[in-house]
Amino acid sequence: MSTRALPEAIQAPPSRRSDGISGFLFALPHLLLFATFVLVPVLYGLYISLHRWHVLAKEHPLIGLGNYGAALSDDIFWIALRNTIYFVVLIVPLGNLVSLLLALGLASVQRLGTFYKIVYYLPVVISIAVVAVLWRWMYNTEIGLINLYLGTVVGWLRSIGLPLAPFEPLPWLSNPSWVMPSIALLTVWWTAGGNMVLYLAGLSNISDDYYEAASIDGANAWQRFWAITWPLLRPTTLFCLVFSVLGAFQVFGQSYVLFTSIQGGPQSGPARSGLTLALYMYLQGFRQYEIGYGAAIAYLLFAIVLVLTILQFRLLSNRDDATAKA
Amino acid sequence: MRTLLRRSQIWLHIPMFLLAVLFLAPLLWMISTAFKAPEDIIGGLGTMQWLPRPATTENFRTVMGRAEEFPIWRWTFNSVFVSLAVTLLVLTVDALAAFAYSRLKWRGRDQIFALLVATMLVPGQVLLIPSYLLIRRLGLFDTYGALIFPAAAGAFGVFLLRQFFLTIPVELEEAARLDGCGPLGILRHVILPLSKPALATLGIFTFMGTWNAFEGPLLFTDTLTMRTLPVGITIFQGRYNIEYGPLMAAAALAAIPVTIAFLIFQRHIIKGISLTGLAGR
Amino acid sequence: MRALLRVLRTRFYPVLALFCVGLFTSGCSSQRNSNNQTTRTSDGKILINFWNGFTGPDGRAMEKMVARFQKQNPDVAVRMQIIPWGTYYDKLTLSLAYGGAPDLFVMHAGRLPEFATFDTLQPLEKLYATAQPPVQESDFAPVPWRATFYNKHQYALPLDVHPIGLYYNTKLFKEAGIVDAQGKPEPPHTFDEFLNAARRMTKDTNGDGRTDQWGFVFTWQRTNWLTIAGQFGASILSPDGKTSTLDSPPNLKALQLMHDLIYKYKVAPKPEGVDAWLAFRQGKVGMALEGIYMLASLEEQKGLPFAGAPVPQFGPMKAAWGGSHLLCQPKGISPQQSEAAWRLMRFLSDDSLIWARAGQVPARLDIRRSPQFTSLPVQAQFATQLPFVQYEPLHPKSNAIFPLIEPGIEAVLLDIATPEAAMRDASRRVNQVLERP
Repeated sequence: MSTRALPEAIQAPPSRRSDGISGFLFALPHLLLFATFVLVPVLYGLYISLHRWHVLAKEHPLIGLGNYGAALSDDIFWIALRNTIYFVVLIVPLGNLVSLLLALGLASVQRLGTFYKIVYYLPVVISIAVVAVLWRWMYNTEIGLINLYLGTVVGWLRSIGLPLAPFEPLPWLSNPSWVMPSIALLTVWWTAGGNMVLYLAGLSNISDDYYEAASIDGANAWQRFWAITWPLLRPTTLFCLVFSVLGAFQVFGQSYVLFTSIQGGPQSGPARSGLTLALYMYLQGFRQYEIGYGAAIAYLLFAIVLVLTILQFRLLSNRDDATAKA
Repeated sequence: MRTLLRRSQIWLHIPMFLLAVLFLAPLLWMISTAFKAPEDIIGGLGTMQWLPRPATTENFRTVMGRAEEFPIWRWTFNSVFVSLAVTLLVLTVDALAAFAYSRLKWRGRDQIFALLVATMLVPGQVLLIPSYLLIRRLGLFDTYGALIFPAAAGAFGVFLLRQFFLTIPVELEEAARLDGCGPLGILRHVILPLSKPALATLGIFTFMGTWNAFEGPLLFTDTLTMRTLPVGITIFQGRYNIEYGPLMAAAALAAIPVTIAFLIFQRHIIKGISLTGLAGR
Repeated sequence: MRALLRVLRTRFYPVLALFCVGLFTSGCSSQRNSNNQTTRTSDGKILINFWNGFTGPDGRAMEKMVARFQKQNPDVAVRMQIIPWGTYYDKLTLSLAYGGAPDLFVMHAGRLPEFATFDTLQPLEKLYATAQPPVQESDFAPVPWRATFYNKHQYALPLDVHPIGLYYNTKLFKEAGIVDAQGKPEPPHTFDEFLNAARRMTKDTNGDGRTDQWGFVFTWQRTNWLTIAGQFGASILSPDGKTSTLDSPPNLKALQLMHDLIYKYKVAPKPEGVDAWLAFRQGKVGMALEGIYMLASLEEQKGLPFAGAPVPQFGPMKAAWGGSHLLCQPKGISPQQSEAAWRLMRFLSDDSLIWARAGQVPARLDIRRSPQFTSLPVQAQFATQLPFVQYEPLHPKSNAIFPLIEPGIEAVLLDIATPEAAMRDASRRVNQVLERP
């Protein structure tokens, strides 16, 4: 990769002088760890993807791009890709909006701030095994808490005379077209606290002086948000957006907890509606032991995300330049 | 920020409180389940019966009392130790590296950084099998090394810190240089003090990520005493029979140390920059 | 110093590359578990690592048996590891392929052909031949005994059989008047009796216009389907194991019947995956078909009036899904360790009455016929089905084809595909997998 091919957001501004070897020495401790535990496995995974590689088999014949071809002509791969993209489209705006709103709320309250912060963050610390059980209870059509309370609310609204139809329990996890929205909702609960912390860090970076000045000028809260918070928060927003797109493409845990972690049903939701690419890779690699095929799926996903990320960086950094010059 | 929405605090608290209730609801159910007897757990589903009747500490005693079967304190120690070690390691090496990628000029810097960024796009699950091989090869299998080093090797922290370091004005650095500071001095006396929010954020992310990590610790360790909490407590979650009560009790216990860690780190996010009085960019 | 650093810098890229290649190629050659060394503890005992997925009450029963073994065999130290089934095979497979395998492990009957095909299991003929006291085929139920063989080698000692059976709620049966002459709840034997009972228990108890008590519920669709399909004489694969027979009429009939229970007779709710079992545990469902391993958790739950019976006959013949836990050793285990592990295997087999109480049918006939076993109400009922228990196909690709079939079964039960369409699609996918080398 040449420097010129790099998106500008990744490039550091040119320094005035060279720092010689010390730069490299500073990076070295991390580089050693990185080379051993990331780079080598990544390259080895790439190597595996070029072979027909069953974990238990003694022979791993080289088949070139055979696994990649097989994946592209596998309709389940395309179902998984479609589900993944649907998830990205749902969660990136929704998740970031919720996280940003939470952070704004936290930055604005004068009391109970720590309480709210902990509450919003708590779901992040809950073990995957428990999230699985809890949310399968919550989403259960017949006995799930969500449907119970929705039913109660609808019943109450009817009793005070609103013309509503009787409540029909929502098929959160049993209707294929509900599955991805249900997963997105679970994701917001489970992960909003993470991005919230990033947004909070960004907000804490904006000086109160700006707001004081704006208040003196008579700007209302809405105007202050658009004039100060939003533009100054841009680096954070971009960072969160880029990483949530990245994370969303690699979504795995949510489908895993809802469908795969406890055996006894199809492992990817009704009509494979909860099957994401990362989950498909896992099922192929770890449940079918076809790690050659699983790795090929992973690198196809990598290629898609790489292109998207470069596009994102290009788009965003160009606009950054424009704002900087304006 | 504090002046924003000052007069409408009450209208702020209403939605925030409602949201807090929604976020808490599944966790409250978890805690109440932890105090329920088996028939109450099953009977309570589908009834909106939040309070255990009668409340029992049986599940907690099951979880804590059978150290042979579930050495939960050892698992807690493992989780705390590993998460702390990874966090310290990441904060140290990533800060050094981020400094090198943002503030120093050296041959190959941008190429290597691009490589770091590119690897972040590879789905993590693909690394598991090669990492397993590697860890066995390096003799790290079933040791703390297997839990710590792979977890600290990612590029996310370098990326996060570098983006933050880039926003710190070069003028401050130049001033320090004139005062005779070397690169290490600049990092210590200029960059790091200004980066507390970023470091705290990275600390939180790393600590939580390591704490919750599941597949790596499962595959890279073997013995009961080397398990971490998330791996350990899956023992209550069988294929056929889930022991709901002990599972919830263990999860509730497991959440306590991480919550404390979060409390400690998060203070720096708000305080960091406003203390130094150097805001904006 | 400076010069040294400069050298380091100019040499850095080649060094990094070499470093990568070194680790990379060293990882290439797969490391089989070929150490013939005997592992011992510090005090000189032979160390046996024993892996299984027995969580909950099963695990506690197994712990007890292992503890008893240790008392009688002071020269052996057993280190038992419980890895929940959900991730058990992930870990077992990696350890068998790349080192770190246990000395004794549990394997399901349906998975043995796959692991045997890849030559990861130790053939046990020698141990069988020299066993004292001898192990005989006639000691074991024939179904699990046959499952220990693959390609003429015997790879395992059968521990148990866990068949599916009918669990029914005796309180709901009494309320609906489904009782015999003495007023005891009477489980159904035929499809007509089953449907009649299910209809009488399906109702709206709180008058909100929605059914909230069901006669029947589908829990684990795989086992429910295999049972009913088996009763219609359906098979999954052709006898030579080379093509799918999923779209053959017997299977379509079975699936249609399962579909009709929900949509035509309306005696079962739409499926909710394995969580549907909760409804039975809550006492809101009259009948469910589940494995014998569910028994222990039902017994731990106070106040649920239930009983067990053989599966009613839905189709023209008798059949019930079952599985077996087999005890296996890894290929290349040292002779000493193998012998110690074998002693433990024999012990678990001899001692399987404890195991039966936890909710299993022992593979050993003498234990199954013992008065202690026949007095266990549910276990003894389920055990009567042993002659016609059917496993998942004992085929190396069994594990690969179920993920292709199960979405089809679920689609039928969710009424989003007809049995014909769902099974045509599943059949095509299964055939693709079977053709793959």
